[in-house]
Amino acid sequence: MPKHEFFVDMTCEGCLNAVTRVLNKLGGVQFEVDLPNKKVSIDSNHSVDTLLDTLKKTGKNTSYLGEK
Amino acid sequence: MDPPSGARSIVVQVEGMTCSSCVQTIEQHIGKLNGVHVIKVSLDEKNATIVYNPKEQIPESLQEAIEDMGFDAVLGDTNP
Repeated sequence: MPKHEFFVDMTCEGCLNAVTRVLNKLGGVQFEVDLPNKKVSIDSNHSVDTLLDTLKKTGKNTSYLGEK
Repeated sequence: MDPPSGARSIVVQVEGMTCSSCVQTIEQHIGKLNGVHVIKVSLDEKNATIVYNPKEQIPESLQEAIEDMGFDAVLGDTNP
């Protein structure tokens, strides 16, 4: 499965939890959140666009960093 | 802040906010929705007071919008 890396402008535990919840809601994803570096690595068959849209639901600045 | 006539206000309990940045994100995001006149989020009280136009939004749609953002939202008192 491809692993994608995203930048998400998270600043606290609450932001991290929000990201975790929207991703769990989407389903079919395995992910790691790196709070200090504001990075989320996602293992998923969903398209990059779907993942990006999901992350954007949190209302935070989000961008795609590329495949890892 | 005098809401336009016909506007209603609700209080939504929001769990999962831990810092002022969570508060800001919710205020910005929900504040942009159609029919939302005023939103005030309190970190201490863990709630959001929303003044909205009942023709464009219902309490459930506002609750869902907050839940979509990754927070727990529970509808509280309605004060018409």
